[in-house]
Amino acid sequence: MQNRFLPYLLTLPSLFLAAVVIFWPVWDLIQISTHDVSRFGQLRDFSGLTNFAALIGDPDFVAALWRTGLWTVLVVGGALLLSVPVAMILNTDFYGRGVARVIIMLPWAVSLTMTAVVWRWALSGESGMLNSALLGLGLIDHNIQWLAQAETAFPMQVMIGILVTVPFTTTIFLGGLSSIPDDLYEAAALEGATPLQQFREITFPLLKPFINIAIVLNTIYVFNSFPIIWVMTQGGPANSTDILVTHLYKLAFRIGKLGEASAVSLVMFAILLVFTMIYVRLAMREQRA
Amino acid sequence: MSLAKSTAGLMAGMSMLAFAAQANAGEVRVTVAEYSAKTGPYFEEVKKEFEAKNPGITVKFEVVPWDVLLQKLTTDITAGTNADLSIIGTRWLIDFVQQDVAEPLDGYITPEFKGRFIDTFLSPSIMGGKTYGLPIAASARAMYYNKELFEKAGIAKPPATWTELQDDARKIKALGSGTFGFGLQGKEIETDVYYYYAMWSLGTEILNKDGTSGLGTPGALEAAKLYKSMIDEGLTEPGVTSNNREDVQNLFKQGKVGMMITAPFLSNQIKDEAPSLKYGVAAIPAGPTGARGTYGVTDSMIMFKNSKNKDEAWKLMDFLFTTEQRAKFTQGEGFLPVNKEEAKMDYYVHNADLAAFTALLPDARFAPVIPGWEEVAQITSDAMQKIYLGGDPEAGLKDAAAKANAVLKK
Repeated sequence: MQNRFLPYLLTLPSLFLAAVVIFWPVWDLIQISTHDVSRFGQLRDFSGLTNFAALIGDPDFVAALWRTGLWTVLVVGGALLLSVPVAMILNTDFYGRGVARVIIMLPWAVSLTMTAVVWRWALSGESGMLNSALLGLGLIDHNIQWLAQAETAFPMQVMIGILVTVPFTTTIFLGGLSSIPDDLYEAAALEGATPLQQFREITFPLLKPFINIAIVLNTIYVFNSFPIIWVMTQGGPANSTDILVTHLYKLAFRIGKLGEASAVSLVMFAILLVFTMIYVRLAMREQRA
Repeated sequence: MSLAKSTAGLMAGMSMLAFAAQANAGEVRVTVAEYSAKTGPYFEEVKKEFEAKNPGITVKFEVVPWDVLLQKLTTDITAGTNADLSIIGTRWLIDFVQQDVAEPLDGYITPEFKGRFIDTFLSPSIMGGKTYGLPIAASARAMYYNKELFEKAGIAKPPATWTELQDDARKIKALGSGTFGFGLQGKEIETDVYYYYAMWSLGTEILNKDGTSGLGTPGALEAAKLYKSMIDEGLTEPGVTSNNREDVQNLFKQGKVGMMITAPFLSNQIKDEAPSLKYGVAAIPAGPTGARGTYGVTDSMIMFKNSKNKDEAWKLMDFLFTTEQRAKFTQGEGFLPVNKEEAKMDYYVHNADLAAFTALLPDARFAPVIPGWEEVAQITSDAMQKIYLGGDPEAGLKDAAAKANAVLKK
């Protein structure tokens, strides 16, 4: 009898904490998003799904939704593609490996906002470092206004997103690589396996659980990432680089539509929840098979 | 047993938190905007002087960057943890009044106190006959021009009309060597305002007489076409939509821009950062009919309705709005005087830059006092950015006017 209740009893404190930290804000968001709400969060009449309907009717929201998908896929995908070779190189033994590892990890140590501020300066049209470097190298003959239009601003933001995501991803992969026993490679080499075959048959399959973790965690971080886009363009010009978080921030704190902003927030929560559940389910099934 | 103990501990902790959130008797909390690096130290001084004169009252200033001020106030008010006094943009005041969070100050204001202020600056804070805020900062916009570039290009005096401005910009552009005629702001706060300068001179107001948006009028279209033609002709800095106000000001400080419209605080910045720059301040150019407009802005200090220490808070307000305190603050930040006695001080009377600004005050427009103003401003900024990026002015403005009218109807 005691045994059956003990686990629940033991998890009760953390459940209580989770309730305070997670469930209560979500409940609050549900309240705000289904009511007519004043600029300062006072609830007025119950309004059902009006706020959600307003979102779907707003072309800026729909555009931001698609762009968030693109942003997440590009940044997470780019970071993964870059991190696998980087981790493999850092896993080999070479002179100066310690220094190389520190350099790769450094962007992680700098606050995201500060990174974005520095890049905003670097990308400035008239006095930016990138333009003067490119001019100096003779690659361009006039200044490029990087942040003036989405066509150049958004790819730059994606690139910076990748850059700051690589350290974390590389760390996960380094952990994964060090768990692969060396004998496997030795045996494979004896059998005449080429490096490419070794990667496809040994490294990649054994790294897969780590790749899965990296995908799930990075997707959550990147999907919610605010500073890069906000600092560099505030989602502009004309909302053309907005993702859901920046759109939400403008709705809530510029325009004062807390109801719609809460609705955006719930939509984001739902997307991430569904994504994570499906992905974890798929990944686990694969692992069991 | 241990579980019960820890729960009790947790409860005790929470109730202590609850107590901590409550204001102590005699404490006045004030949220102030950080206008510059001088703001924090100024209010530190105020705290010292005021507390020395008023034993028993402690003052706590929370200095918040301007960009996040509205966000902080929104969350604080929602949570009921707002300060006793706060600086707010006067254009937000209507929301505060409608939501019943601002306390009318008429009970405290004596005729002598009211007489301290210049009416132009006090009137935006009066709503429905009640005074809800006191103007703590006032500003207007005028045109800065680079005298050296003007001289090189053979221009004798600053342009009086937009047509002259275009001609002058062409001459400055012809100098080559990375100089741009007219600095046009196309990003972030006040992007819409930069467009109103041209719009006002062409006879269009932000709101038509019937309360609809002015963006659908011929004057608005002409103003948008004017800016677009200047961009197309290369008379502005390149990449207009990547330059916010500070970016354009920096180009001006570097001597790369011939003319730009901005606030008096640029004079202070030039004094500190580019003392060798030769510049002048002139009126904003007029349209063909002689109409012109500048943007007048005030920030107000308000008292919250839920303040527990209103009398103490008022004492602090009274202190902040003495001539001596006003002069110290205004001169440090580079604002315009809001206080009659203060405006008579030598500092203002013999200051050519500030004289240009005060001369424009009769043409000053303040942000319209309507709920949803921030949304209309956002719609206008977005529309302008699209036009600056090459969009069709007519379609863009028509769309923006429709969106703005939908907001205004609510």
